[in-house]
This record gives sequence, C-alpha cells and structure tokens, in this order.
Amino acid sequence: MPAASDLKVLIVDDQQTIRALVRAGLKDIGVTDIEDAVDGEAALNVLLSNRRNLIISDFNMPNLDGLGLLRAVRIAPQLKAIAFIMLTGRADTALLQRAQQFGVNNYLVKPFTVATLREKIEQVFGPLT
Amino acid sequence: MEAIRATFFQECEELLADLETGLLAMEEGQGDSETVNAVFRAVHSVKGGAGAFGLDGLVRFAHVFETTLDGVRNGELEVEASLVALMLRCADRLSDHVSAAKVGESLDPDGDQDLIKQLEAFCVAEEAGEAGELDLPIAFAVVPLSIGDAPEAFTPLVASTEAGPAEWRIEFKPHATLYANANDASVLLRELARLGELRVELNADALPGLDTLDVFGAYLSWTLWLTTEKAEADIRDVFEFVDGDCDLTIRGPGANDTVDIAVTSTPDIGDGDRDLIPASAGPLEGEMSLQDLLAMARGASSDTAEAEAAAESVIATEPRVLKEPSPQVSESANAPSAKSAGKATDVAQPTIRVDLDRVDRLIDLVGELVINQAMLAQQVHEAGLARSGNIALGLDDLEQLTREIQDSVMAIRAQPVKSVFQRMPRLVREVASMTGKSVRLVTEGEGTEVDKTVIERLSEPLTHMIRNAVDHGLESPEARVAAGKPAEGVIRLAALHRSGRIVIEVSDDGKGIDRARVRSIAIERGLIEPDAVLTEEEVDNLIFAPGFSTASAVSDISGRGVGMDVVKRSIQALGGRISITSIPGKGSTFTLSLPLTLAVLDGMVVSVGDHTLVVPITVIVETLQPKPVDVRSLGPHATVLAVRGSHVPLIDVGSAMGFRPDPASGSGVTILVESELGGLAALRVDSIQGQRQVVIKSLEQNYDQVPGIAAATILGDGRVALIVDVDGVIALRRQTATRPTLLDKAS
Repeated sequence: MPAASDLKVLIVDDQQTIRALVRAGLKDIGVTDIEDAVDGEAALNVLLSNRRNLIISDFNMPNLDGLGLLRAVRIAPQLKAIAFIMLTGRADTALLQRAQQFGVNNYLVKPFTVATLREKIEQVFGPLT
Repeated sequence: MEAIRATFFQECEELLADLETGLLAMEEGQGDSETVNAVFRAVHSVKGGAGAFGLDGLVRFAHVFETTLDGVRNGELEVEASLVALMLRCADRLSDHVSAAKVGESLDPDGDQDLIKQLEAFCVAEEAGEAGELDLPIAFAVVPLSIGDAPEAFTPLVASTEAGPAEWRIEFKPHATLYANANDASVLLRELARLGELRVELNADALPGLDTLDVFGAYLSWTLWLTTEKAEADIRDVFEFVDGDCDLTIRGPGANDTVDIAVTSTPDIGDGDRDLIPASAGPLEGEMSLQDLLAMARGASSDTAEAEAAAESVIATEPRVLKEPSPQVSESANAPSAKSAGKATDVAQPTIRVDLDRVDRLIDLVGELVINQAMLAQQVHEAGLARSGNIALGLDDLEQLTREIQDSVMAIRAQPVKSVFQRMPRLVREVASMTGKSVRLVTEGEGTEVDKTVIERLSEPLTHMIRNAVDHGLESPEARVAAGKPAEGVIRLAALHRSGRIVIEVSDDGKGIDRARVRSIAIERGLIEPDAVLTEEEVDNLIFAPGFSTASAVSDISGRGVGMDVVKRSIQALGGRISITSIPGKGSTFTLSLPLTLAVLDGMVVSVGDHTLVVPITVIVETLQPKPVDVRSLGPHATVLAVRGSHVPLIDVGSAMGFRPDPASGSGVTILVESELGGLAALRVDSIQGQRQVVIKSLEQNYDQVPGIAAATILGDGRVALIVDVDGVIALRRQTATRPTLLDKAS
C-alpha cells in the first residue's frame, strides 16, 4: 500500500481558489509534497526540474490547457510515467474521451469532496495509507 | 477554508473585471478567439469556485451563461450586438450574485429568470438540472499506476529499455570548491565503484611543479568507465552533492548516439537563466526540452477540428523528432532552451501579496529615515564639517539613496487607476438605460499609477461625476440629433501624470453648462446677489458651491450640480483640486488634479512668530513683497491686498492661528495662494525659510484635529512644523471677520 506521504503532487489550475482547495484536500489525505502551477506551460517548467508522480490539472487554462499538458507529459520520455488526473467542470464525455486517448489516468469533477479526491487518487495508485 | 473563501472572492473580482473587459472588447468588435476564450474562462472559473462553496444559485446562473459563451466559443453563435449587450447585463448580474454571496446572502433566483430566458433564446438549453448533476456516470476506465512507477519516469529511455549492463564513460574534474566544501573525490570514486565495475584513469597533466603548486588548488581529473545495470540517474546521484563544484560529463552506452551532459556549473552559476532548469534536469538523452514539448503540446490544446488535424500531424512526425540523431548537447546548445524557459516565467510576472500594514510600516520607517537624514545633514552643516570633501560627498550619496528608497517604497503603494476606471462602464450602462440615453464611454490612461489610498477615495467622487455627466451633461438622443450631433453621446475618462500629480479628466460632448440657469438657481438660493457681475468661469464654478444643489433637486436641475460640492470636498480632502471648463453646445470637462502620494508633500517652510509652518507648494501661486500702499484695511479685522488690479483678502497667519493677538505690523512676506473655496487669498508670514519635501505626520492620529492645520512634519533640526490647511486658515479668518463686535467687546 503506497503511503500518501510518498506522493509528490503537482496541482495545475489558473484559479488560485481551486489550487488552494486541491492543496487543502491533499493535505487532509496526508500528502505533504505539493507543488503548483498556473497553467500547462508553467507546469512543464516545474516538471522538468522537479520529480512528481501525480499531476492534478484543470482542463481549461490559458497558454497551454490541460489536454495540451497531458499530451506533452505523455510525449516526453522523462515525464511519461507520471499519473495524470484531469479536473473538469462537468462530466464532459467528449472531453474525457479525448483525454483518455492521450493517456489520462483518471478524472475529477468540480466541485469535489475530500473523499472523492481520495477515491480518485486511490483508483490510480491503490489504497493510500 | 475561510482563507480560501477570501481568496475566491478576491479572485472573483479579477475574473469579473476580465469578463467585463473582454465583453467590452467584443462589443467594439475586437473580440478574437483568445478574448472569447478568456471571457468563457472567467465565467467558468467563477462557477467552478462557487461550486466548491455551495453557492448553488450563483452556479446555476453562471452555468447558463457559460453554456451560451461556449456556443460563442464554438462558433455556433454569432457575436451580434444584441447578444453582447445581453451578456454585459449577465456579467452585471453575475457580479451582483458574487457580491451577495460575499456577505453570505443569495439573490432571488426569480431575478435570473428574465436573463436566463433571453440567453436560452440564443442557444438551445441543455437538459434541465445539469448544475445539480455534475458528476454523471460516464464510461471511463481508470488507468492504475503504482507510485513506484513515477520516479522511473526520470530514467532516460536508453537505460530503461536496454537490458543488461551498459558501459558509461564519465569525465570528472573537481573544482577547488569541491575540496573547499569538504568533499573528497576518492569517496565519490568509491561510491561509483559500488554501482558496478569501475575502471579509473587519472589525468595529472595539469599538476604543476612543487614551486608553483597551490595547496588549495584542484589539478587532478579522472576519466572513469563504469559498467553497470543502473540508470544514469543513479550515477548522477553519486555526484548530487558536488553539483556545481566539478565538471562532469557522462556519456551513455553506444558509440554513435552519445550525448554529452554538461552538469558543470562554472562560475556563471549565478546566471538566472541557468537556475531555471537545474543542470541535473538538463536534456538527458531521449529527453525533450520545454520548447519541443510546448511546440508539440500546443497542437493538442485546442478543441477545433483544425487543431485536431494539427495534433494528428504532430503524432505523425513524433517518431522523427524522437529518433533524430541527438546533437552534441553542450552548454551553449543548452542555453536557448533555458532562455525560453526564462521567458516563459517572465510572462507570468510573479507577484506576491503583502499585508498592507507591512507596507505602511515600511513607508513610515522610510519617512523616519528621510527625517533622520535631513537632521544629520543639518547637524553636519552646523558643526562646520560640511566643507570636508568626503563627508559632504557621503551625505550627498545618502540623500540621493534616501530619496530613491523613498520613491521605491512609495511605488509599492502605487496602483493603476484601472481598478476604478473599470467600474465605470457598468455605471454608464445603468444610468444610460435609466435615462434613456445612448452613451459610449471612452477611457484613456488606465495604466496611470497613483497611491492606493487616492485610488480608493477616488471611486466615489468619480462615480458622482460620471453619473452627472450622463444624466445632466448629455442630451437625449432626439435632442442630440436635432442639434446635429450623433445620437450616441461620448463620455471620456482619462488619466495622465502631469508635473508630479495625477490629472483625471471627465468630459462629455453634451450641451455644456446652462449658465443662465445656474445663475438663476444661485440667486434663488442666495449664493450670489441678483445684480452680481460674474465671469463665465465664476458662473461655472458656482455648481461647486455648498448649497447650490441638494439631492432633492436632482430631477429639476437641467444643468449639472448634483452634489458637486460633495465631490469637491472629497477631492480636496485628498489634497486635490477640481475645475471645470464648459462650452455651450459642445460639452463640459471636469479636471481633477491629485497628489500621487499622501505620504510626502512639497512645501514652503515659513516662519510666523516663534513658529515654523509649512505651506503646500500646490496651493501657492506666487510670493510677493507688497508695498504698504497696496494693503487696504476694511475695518479692524479685514484687510485686502491689491494684486494687479484686483483685491484679495489678506490674512495675517499669526493672528488667524492665534500665535499673536493682533496682526503683525511691519514688513514680512506675502504668499498668494489659491483657495478651493473662494479664489485667491494672500497669507502674510514673517519670513520664508525655503522649500523642501516633508513627510506628512497625521495630527489627528497623534493628537487631535486642529482648525487651520492639515498635518505636521518633523524638520531637519528636529523641530515639529505644522502644515497649513490653507482653506482652514481662510475659514478661521472669516470667523473672526464675521464676529467683529464680539471681539471688539472683549478687547
């Protein structure tokens, strides 16, 4: 069983509120190593210098959106094994299908509870301790 | 959670401002796809945040709004004027929702219905209840991973795909700093040996003779061949703690496609660009630079069919890019990608939020520093040391530095007037629709910066003025057409810096001031005598007179004047001035002139009796040495001074402030000042000491309000000087002038 404290998470969202909410949720779960970025491009900058094993990213962002970031992560050999959970405003089937084509691991619909956040992460990594 | 909530509302303000700016651009026909996207994102983000705080009413309304915007974004909906106008009203409503939520209330959903119906008329509504059922079950296969998978991600392809041990060639040249930092090259070599089979070759060519050997120098380098199953990352880990203290080159297995990895951090380590991508994350073999990634990723970032096609073509070319023989990546080749990374972060313009109290404390301290510096300079001067070259130079430098620090600190509080200006379009729309007028607001100089407090206190008077301009300045569309003007009136709101102050102009192209009407109202209200002879300018300025208008007179005043005395007073309270120019039939312009900061002031230091006073430079017109013949007495308490053909009240500051019982006799100096209340006035003081910038210390905070005194300051010699409130002094003098009998009896 993976320990939540082993998770190194990158939160990507152009909205400070959402970043703060996800961060607070992750802390509740027991994740301590959290970085954040305001858009896909900033996220890549973080990823190229900072080991992460989970990206939780918004879909709609300026500069480089969530789908673009996912695509970049899956293309880059040094990043491709990082888990990716897409945050969406609604359960948009078409969008999620595209995200799945590009190799998303899971999705999370806003607004979410801490329990849902945990559940979505556990579906990817298995039960967290 | 409370902190996040506060963040949400703060962010909402920015988002709503973006929303309005974007919609206005669309109204002007400048809405490119990026604008539409930004508008969509603003509503989407407000909705997203609101959902987290259970603001259901807000979410429901935002959802319908968002759906319409999505239609615009997809090109399903035509951007026509009526739709943009509707969306602007929706933006206002959304803003009302946010304001209500902020104070823990929610708007009546019935109030949304009208707008929602109109929005839905534009696009086919989605199935009802979507806001409540966001997490619909959809077909989605979770892709599980183990946490252990992820760090593997950092292992270069070469190592992870090739089975069996590989031989790595490592060039290792320690810098002197490596030894200075108590690292030992031999320990590192031993650790490497643990990873696999290590062959070591020492290069001692650089070792000088004993006579020139620097015992702290670094002369040795090694070439190492390591055969190991471990990944490159593991090899790098050995050198983790000497990163920057050595030249390190690691060549992967395979003869042709080797890549040099420069982990060297030569003395240019301080170079900001390099720090963005630490050497250890440099382009490893098979890795891609940020540039490459961005170029590829952008193809997938859009939703349109063309982008889809672009994405496909990227996929098609992907193998080529990956298999392209990697060039020898050296430090110089590394630089461009690091540069672009630097640019990317520049665009983001990192900011920090700082508690205002801290900034104000800093400003206060800098104020003390300025005073201290002035005192020091004066003491040095008095001690006769100033002639000594070095001390004088040092003091000059100190003064220069203090000034610069002060300016920089003041700049922290400076903000663009945009935050006030951007509230005005909505106001104009509301007043225009209430009065049935067609109005276009043009703003200029939104980036002009001024002190935060000035901005905050500018909002109210500006709101008054804009409302007046629409309500009273502009004619009805019919009247405008009849006068040969376009039916749409134009209100111009502009800000600019002029001689150390900020000037804000509010102008309209309306009918101008109806001077005959203003005059008759002024006579009616007893402000002027029926037979008074006034210049056009004086008539115009009557609208600022207290009592010219009252709120109840709003509807029956055809000219301007609703609460303009209130406007004038609030501008004056900021140390500002307001004036008006008007051309009948063409329009009116109000001009506000305000100080850039409320913390310092340029003043004329004067002596009155035993006291030192400061008169703000901004009110001074000129200084005079009047001839006795120009001074005329109008009774025991009123004196006037003849200045170039007209008479202005002459006020003896000493007696007006109560420093001495009677006006001083003898010469003295007269300062001609511009009063906000009644034109010019002449202040008589004993002598002028000089002109300097002073730090304003509030008297009210430290003592109490004193009539005739605006604030205090501390001079270079440590004495407290009072800053004169010119209008206050004039008012004081009026009081004594209107109570002559009482005073006469007393004396």
